[in-house]
Amino acid sequence: MDIRHPIPTNGGEWVTQFGEIWRGQVADLKKTFDGAIEEVKMPQADATDVPIIYVKRDRLVEVLKFLKETDGFEYGFLADITATDESSELRFEVVYQLFSQSKLCRIRVKVRVPEGVSVPSAVSVWKGADWAEREVYDMYGVQFEGHPNLRRILMDERWVGHPLRKDYPIKGYQIFTDPQAVDPERLK
Amino acid sequence: MSKDGSVGYVTTRLDDFINWGRKHSIWPLPFGTSCCGIEMMASLAADYDMSRFGAEVIRFSPRQSDLLIVAGIINLKMAPVLKTVYDQMSDPKYVMSFGACASSGGIFNVYSVLQGIDTMIPVDVYIPGCPPSPEGVIHGLMRLQELITQGQTHSQRRLAQAKQG
Repeated sequence: MDIRHPIPTNGGEWVTQFGEIWRGQVADLKKTFDGAIEEVKMPQADATDVPIIYVKRDRLVEVLKFLKETDGFEYGFLADITATDESSELRFEVVYQLFSQSKLCRIRVKVRVPEGVSVPSAVSVWKGADWAEREVYDMYGVQFEGHPNLRRILMDERWVGHPLRKDYPIKGYQIFTDPQAVDPERLK
Repeated sequence: MSKDGSVGYVTTRLDDFINWGRKHSIWPLPFGTSCCGIEMMASLAADYDMSRFGAEVIRFSPRQSDLLIVAGIINLKMAPVLKTVYDQMSDPKYVMSFGACASSGGIFNVYSVLQGIDTMIPVDVYIPGCPPSPEGVIHGLMRLQELITQGQTHSQRRLAQAKQG
């Protein structure tokens, strides 16, 4: 492997390089978590994409912990948590982007969440999930169960609504003229 | 004035004299929140050298400066901070709205962006551009100097009104 370009990003090469690893991992996952894996989407041969694994909500943390700690997976790095508003009955999809520093490949885990239902928090697996989950909560209003400090991170705390939802008006300004008050407890 | 160039005496009004002094000793406070801030630095640096016009000493404290240069996008969470910084400056104070985003929100007509800083604080000079060129900035500064000479900036007019009333 060329050490100057360890991770190919041009089309197709990801699948050529990691396809074998991914197929083995997906088979392993399906065997270990029978019933917890709803659906797996493998990338097409010429696409620069990674496998997408849809996991059942109640067994999410279990699967993430397995992906992080099991030999042969070693997805130790949580690159990002984000979400999409699908405007369907199962409204949101929470997306976990994982990266393996030993195998240099990526994988994507998704959870489907209806409105008003909470997702188990991944903070117990990755500490870095804290702020990422706060951002998802701020932008989409998805609640994370077991999160230590679930409050807004980007928007003002007086903000009403969640701006990245599809039904939020694009010009829904909420102007505050005085700065947001800081709870004195937090400054200690 | 005598033939050898020495000045015996000059008559002027005290207000005019003070404004003449203010015009040549502008201390800017850079409020650079995005890419316009880079262009502001370019106009302050050696090639364009804004200090030729007296805007020499950049101060990072609102207490010590009299020109607030808002260079860049002001989002709604930043807006109260900008208001506080403006309130902390002592009179007379001038505001320069630097670039499209500060003047009108620019291309960002969305939920998170203030649609022009003049919805929050009074602005004396608008500089158009995305970002403005340093020549534009210097033109804006000279326009501000004209306004100061005439006593027509927002803050000076407010002070004059307060004096009369």
